[in-house]
Amino acid sequence: MGRLELIQSLTGHEGRVWNVAWHPKGNFLASCGEDKIIRIWGKQGNKWVLKTILTDGHQRTIREMSWSPCGNRFASASFDATTAIWDKASENFECIATLEGHENEVKSVAFSKSGVFLATCSRDKSVWVWEVQDDEFECAAVLNAHTQDVKKVVWHPQEDILASASYDNTVKLFKEDLSDHDWTCVATLDAHESTVWSLAFEKTGARLATCSDDQTVKIWKEYKPGNPEGIVTPLNESVWKCVCALHGFHSRTIYDIAWCHITGLLATACGDDIIRVFKEEASCDPNQPTFELVHACHNAHSEDVNAVKWNPCVEGMLASASDSGEIRIWQYQD
Amino acid sequence: MSSRFSGALQLTDLDDFITPSQECIKPVKIEKTETGTGAKIKIQDDGAYVHLNKPKVNEVGVTQGQETKLQKVEISLTDCLACSGCITSAESVLVAQQSHDEMVRVFTDNEQLKQSGRCNEVKLLVVSMSVQPVLSLAERYGLSPGECAEKLSGYFKSLGADLVLDMTVADDFSLLESQREFVERFRAAQEEPENFATQLPMLASSCPGWVCYAEKTHGNFILPYISTTKSPQQIMGSLVKSHLGRAPQQVYHVTLMPCYDKKLEASREDFSNQQLGTRDVDCVITAIELEQLLQVEGVELDGVVSAPLDCPWGAAQGLWSHSGSGSGGYAHHIFTHAAKELFGEDISAVQFRALRNPDFREAVLEKDGKVVLRFAIANGFRNIQNLVQKMKRGRTAYHYVEVMACPSGCLNGGAQVRPQSSISSRELIERLEKTYLSLPQRGPADNPAVATLYAEWLGERIQIKHSIVKAQYNAVPKVNPYLNVNWGNRTIRWVKKGLEGMSA
Repeated sequence: MGRLELIQSLTGHEGRVWNVAWHPKGNFLASCGEDKIIRIWGKQGNKWVLKTILTDGHQRTIREMSWSPCGNRFASASFDATTAIWDKASENFECIATLEGHENEVKSVAFSKSGVFLATCSRDKSVWVWEVQDDEFECAAVLNAHTQDVKKVVWHPQEDILASASYDNTVKLFKEDLSDHDWTCVATLDAHESTVWSLAFEKTGARLATCSDDQTVKIWKEYKPGNPEGIVTPLNESVWKCVCALHGFHSRTIYDIAWCHITGLLATACGDDIIRVFKEEASCDPNQPTFELVHACHNAHSEDVNAVKWNPCVEGMLASASDSGEIRIWQYQD
Repeated sequence: MSSRFSGALQLTDLDDFITPSQECIKPVKIEKTETGTGAKIKIQDDGAYVHLNKPKVNEVGVTQGQETKLQKVEISLTDCLACSGCITSAESVLVAQQSHDEMVRVFTDNEQLKQSGRCNEVKLLVVSMSVQPVLSLAERYGLSPGECAEKLSGYFKSLGADLVLDMTVADDFSLLESQREFVERFRAAQEEPENFATQLPMLASSCPGWVCYAEKTHGNFILPYISTTKSPQQIMGSLVKSHLGRAPQQVYHVTLMPCYDKKLEASREDFSNQQLGTRDVDCVITAIELEQLLQVEGVELDGVVSAPLDCPWGAAQGLWSHSGSGSGGYAHHIFTHAAKELFGEDISAVQFRALRNPDFREAVLEKDGKVVLRFAIANGFRNIQNLVQKMKRGRTAYHYVEVMACPSGCLNGGAQVRPQSSISSRELIERLEKTYLSLPQRGPADNPAVATLYAEWLGERIQIKHSIVKAQYNAVPKVNPYLNVNWGNRTIRWVKKGLEGMSA
C-alpha cells in the first residue's frame, strides 16, 4: 500500500478553490476560485511560495486555468462568461485577450497539446474550439452535441482530439474534419448514471478515465479500426468501450480525476473529503484491466476536494484544491 | 434527432424543448382592483396560484383575506421572442401555432365553411413556396425542380389551397431594396463618417436565426448594422395580405421555408397587424414537415396531379435562382449593383474566395490599385462569432456581409429534408447547390412582375412602400439568470455543486 505525504498547505484564497494547474515544467502551480483571483505559486528553496497575484481578469468566480504547452501563456475560464488569455510578456503576466461568446458560465478551458487550439465549455451546453494564431483567437467551431451543462474539456495528450464531460451523463469526443475544417462529434461515451464531472487521458491517449456524480470511475479503451480484438468500428472511426468500472470506493460525487503520465497512477477528488489513489494491477488483461485502491487519504481536506493534479515532471507529486480554501501539495510514496 | 433550428438559435436556448408551462419565468401580471400592500400569492395543492388580498374586518368582526384565483399564464411565441430568459421557444409552442397539422386543420375548416355555405367566413388560402425547400423535396423524390414545384402546387390545391405562388417576386424585391439601401448607406457613411447610424458594414437581414441571435445577444451594438430591408418571406407576407384584392383577415397565408427559424420570424410582432389581429404570414411549414405530411397521408408526390403555379401579379413566374450563394445571392447582387452605381464598373461575375474555411468567403473590387469594396459571405455560427468579435474590436474592413446562421446557407437550412442513407450531408448540399445554379437566372430588376408592382402600386406611395419592405429590430434586455432556475425536484447536493454558477 502507498500513502500520500503532505508536503505543504498553501493558503490565501478566500472562499472555495476550484482548481489548480501545473506549469508544463512542473515548477509553478496556478490556482483559482471564488475570490476571482489567480495565484501562481513557485518553489523557493524547499518551500512553495506565492509568486504572482492576478486580480483584474474576471468579474465572477474563476473556474479553471490551463497552461499552453510552451508555458508562456495560460487561459482562465470564468463564470462571467469569458475566457481570458494571459501572456508572460516580461516579468509579469498580462491579459492579452478576452474571449467572448458563451452565453453564461464558462466551466472549463484547455489548450491542446499542439498549442494550435483552445477549447472552452459552458453551462450554455456548448463546447467551443478556438484556433490560436499568435495573439488572435478565432472561433473554429461551436459544438452543440451535449444536451446539458458541459463540465469539462480535456485534450488528447498527443492528437487534436477533444473530450468533453457533461451534466447529460455522457462524454463526447470531437475531431476536426480536414475537408472543411469543421469539428464533429466522433464518439459518445455513455455509461455513467449521473453528471460526468471530469476525465483524464492516459499518457498515450489510448485510454481515458471518467469520474461522476454516480460515485464511480470508469476506464475507457480506444479500439481503432482494424483492432486485433475484432471490435466493429462503424464509419472507420475508433470505438471507445468501457473496460473497467470502479464501484464502491467513493461515497460522494467524484469531482476530479488525474491520470499520472509518469507513474500511471490514478487519483480522484471526492465530495467525501478523501483523495484516493488507484494502481493498475500488473499483467492484467488490457481488455479487462483491474485497478487496486492503494491509498485513501481521509480528511485530505476539511471540505470537498474539487481538483487533483499530478505534477507533470516530478514523480508522485500531487496538488489538490478544496472548498475549504486550501491548496495542498502531496508526495505519493509506495 | 438533430435540431431543425440553426445553430445560433440553439445557443440562445431557443431550442431547449422544455415545456414553457412548466418552466417559463414569464412574470404573472395581476390586474389589481385596489392598491395596497401586504398582498400575497399562495400556491394551492393542485398547483393553482391564488392571490390573497389584504385581510379586511367584516361586519361580524372576523378578518378574512379575499382569495382570487389567478389566471393560468399562456405563453405565446411572441412572449418567447420578447424574452431573453430561458428562452424556451419550445417546440411545443411552435407546433401549436405553426405546423403542418395546423395548416391542414385550417384548410379542412375552410372546406367545411364552403360546404355549409358560410361564404363570408371562407378564407382565401395562399401558399408561397421558397425555392430552397422545393429543391430539397425535388432531390428527395427524384423530380426536376420545375416538376416538383408543380406537383407541390397540385398537392396544396388538393388540400384546398386557392393560390400557390413562388417567392421569386419577393426575393427580387428584397434584393432590389437591399441594393438601394447599401448604396444609400455607403454614400452616407462617406459623407458622415462619424455618424453611428450610417456605419458600415451593412449586414444581411434575411436570416431570422442570425437576426434573433443578434437581438438577444449583441443588442444595440450590432443592430444598427443590420439591413432594414425585410426578408423575402415577410415581403411576400405583405404582398399577399395587401395586394390580392382581399382584406388581410380574409387571407390565410402559408409559406414553405427551409428552416424553423422562419416560424419565429413570422411570429414577430412587427409583422402583424395588431388592429386586425392578423399576421402577414399565418403559418410557416418546412420541407421536412412536408415530407412527414406526405408520409403520414400516404401520398406519393410523384403521383400527384400537377398544377401550374399561380401568377396574380402579371408575368409568369416559375423557379429562378440568383447568381451567387444559394441563400439568395445577396452579396453578389449588392456587389455588382454597388460597383456599377458607385464606381461605374460593370461586373458580370464576382469571385468570392474562401478564407479560413469554405463558409467564410470574401470578394473585393479594386480601382486604381486600391480596394474600394470589400464584401464577405459568413455562414454558420462560428463565422458569425468571428465576425461579431472582429467588429467589436473594430477590426473589420467589410462594407457588406451576407450573414446566414446555417453552414452553407439556406440550401442547408435546419428543416430541409435530411440526407437519405446512401448520401452524406455534404454530398446532398453539393447536389442542391448544383441544381440551384442550373435553374434559369435573372437579375432582380429584370423581373417584370416586380417592375409592374413598383410602377403601379408602390411607385409614389412612400409610406406604404416603407411598410411593405422595411423591418426594424429590437435589442432584448437580459434577465437575471438566477431567476431562470428550475428548482424542480433537484436534490440539495445538486444545488450545491451542480449549479456552480450560483456562486459569485
